Amino acid sequence: MSSNWTPVALSQDVLPGMAIPAHLQDQDLVVWRSATGRIAAWHDRCPHRGMRLSHGFVRGEFLSCIYHGWRYGEDGQCRKIPAHPELAPPAAIKVPRFAVCESAGVVWVAPEGETSEPVDLPGFRGFRSVAVNAAADQVARDVAGQGHLGGCDVVMLVQPLPGGDCGLHVLVADGCADAQLDALSHAIEALRRRLEQGVAA
Amino acid sequence: MILYDYVLSPSCYKVRLLASLLGTGLDLRPVDFHPGAEHHGPEFRALNPAGTIPVLTDARLVLTESGAILTYLAAVKAPEWLGHDDPAMQARVANWLAFSQRLTASAGGARLHDMLGFSGDIDTLRAQATDALRELEAAIHARRRRGGIFLAADRPTIADIACFPYAALAPDGGVSLDPYPSIRLWMRAIRALPGFIEMPGIHRLHEQMPEPGPMPDVVRKESA
Amino acid sequence: MSVTMQDHWYPVALASGLRRSARDTLLLGRAIRVALDDGGAPVVTAEGRALPVQVKFGHVWTTLGVPAGDVFDIPEADQPGRRLVEVGSVKVRCSPLRAVENFLDIAHFPFVHTDVLGSEPHTEVERYEVEIRDDVDEVWATKVKFFQPQAARSAQGGITTEYMYRVPGPTCSVLYKTCPPRPGEWDVITLFVQPLTETTCEVWPWMALFDDDSTMTEMIHFQQLIFLQDRSILENQLPALLPLDPGREIPTRADMLSIAYRRWLKRHGYTFGAQLVAA
Repeated sequence: MSSNWTPVALSQDVLPGMAIPAHLQDQDLVVWRSATGRIAAWHDRCPHRGMRLSHGFVRGEFLSCIYHGWRYGEDGQCRKIPAHPELAPPAAIKVPRFAVCESAGVVWVAPEGETSEPVDLPGFRGFRSVAVNAAADQVARDVAGQGHLGGCDVVMLVQPLPGGDCGLHVLVADGCADAQLDALSHAIEALRRRLEQGVAA
Repeated sequence: MILYDYVLSPSCYKVRLLASLLGTGLDLRPVDFHPGAEHHGPEFRALNPAGTIPVLTDARLVLTESGAILTYLAAVKAPEWLGHDDPAMQARVANWLAFSQRLTASAGGARLHDMLGFSGDIDTLRAQATDALRELEAAIHARRRRGGIFLAADRPTIADIACFPYAALAPDGGVSLDPYPSIRLWMRAIRALPGFIEMPGIHRLHEQMPEPGPMPDVVRKESA
Repeated sequence: MSVTMQDHWYPVALASGLRRSARDTLLLGRAIRVALDDGGAPVVTAEGRALPVQVKFGHVWTTLGVPAGDVFDIPEADQPGRRLVEVGSVKVRCSPLRAVENFLDIAHFPFVHTDVLGSEPHTEVERYEVEIRDDVDEVWATKVKFFQPQAARSAQGGITTEYMYRVPGPTCSVLYKTCPPRPGEWDVITLFVQPLTETTCEVWPWMALFDDDSTMTEMIHFQQLIFLQDRSILENQLPALLPLDPGREIPTRADMLSIAYRRWLKRHGYTFGAQLVAA
């Protein structure tokens, strides 16, 4: 893809008040949505003792680390250290952020400062994300140009994952009936089996 | 009802969790599973020849399979948790109770291997756990497409409780839950149920607590 | 000659748990075998070579190097009336040094051991005292206080608990804690860590408690519950190795003991499981 944006999750899988793990190349990310719906993508590491923030918890507009409860605002700045309730945390305690945006029901991430827009996919919405135990470039070649799956119009986005696996984010055209979507879900499973057998063979 | 219990056993936790969700008490009898291997001793074998936990006794009734224990507890205390509204729902619950044994054998086997040093072919156990988790993920996604989240009905049933602990603890056996967004949402829905209790490796939803204000004065003085 | 990590004693088995069949395990990355000889005494070998063995605190201890002395003492543990609790072992995918550091940490209690060892809003860690005692070459923290909803199996309701921490070896820590049923005495809770590799360890908690009410199994379960709550934290810290250089992780005053432990490790070159240069 020519875009600098990487699809890391589907919007429907990150509800308000949730933090989930994600990846941008070899970087571990936490993607989280505040109570009012703001999405954010950060380095998945609390600067205090290295704990993954994706194990943390969201209260209102803040993400807290599960280990010691250090609390971060949307700018990534530490706002509260529970062990020292009256201390104003130093400005140096800040979690590195990434550029993030949502379109077509996909959460896209890019290095901080990215000014372009991710690819526009009108008429499609997020359907399913699955992990595939096969290399991203190989899977991307396999599904390239494939706009139909299981009887539905689809867009398939391939995301490289650490360890040589990849994520497959399937978007579906608006207006498919339940039965068609059931068939699409089965077709995604079948596609994954075929891709993974390709690796085993 | 007496539950022969071990704090680190996901199967025992199923029973404690359901009892807590139903707001009913259990008489807990801790079994020294590790390191004492009390479940292999003659006294425990007299109760359960298989030497497995949990065991639930109620008067003269002795139950040694977690699925049967969940069924009994729900039938006595809250029959709506059985999911017996219609034959299809009843069969779905039975299907998930049986499926949960696959999670126990695979993800649970990997956990015992990685955590307590039990023997086992770890690669095979993890591959089988991945297969089971992928099935679970697909099934929950199908429920989500219809506006639901729980496995067998539009409300939680013993099917969810049977599958939840070993799925949630898969990382203990080196099986990541990162690739399963629907399982994550389902686990979150279970953790949000009134009366939910945690076990080690499964955190409660701290997000449900309000952000606390200052420490209460009485404690500050006491510790000063 | 300076003492290296190789020269320290490490726990490798529960003496009561040894069977005729050998236990094959790792110590500092080396394959070792723990077994009983014909007379029923524990023997430890590495590639056929017999290693020094001591049995103390219910555990079999060994070393790959030349120990400076015996396994350290815990004099309080010999007091009559204490119950000695063999908790067993749990394997963790983390640096052995991270496992010890977590044991030395109290600020996580409200979030990881919620409603047992801590609870919001009682999150404040007051100033405590830390020293490296040069005469015995141990790290100590004293006057550590924390509010706990249920400090021990025997505790009824919330109390402010006082702690002392002691690090007598690079992967061992002893915690002394206010004893609810016996004011004036200290419960002894230890964390003995067997370093398997730099990023995996086997943890052997052991306790010497004044508790006349709980059954042995209840005391074992309480401590297993606590430690297993920590395990999911320990397996998710990045990097897996413990950073010894300042700058990679940001401490606060509550972390004075952790800072002292890291300095002590670095000063002695106890770096198995440590990261020395920031990545």
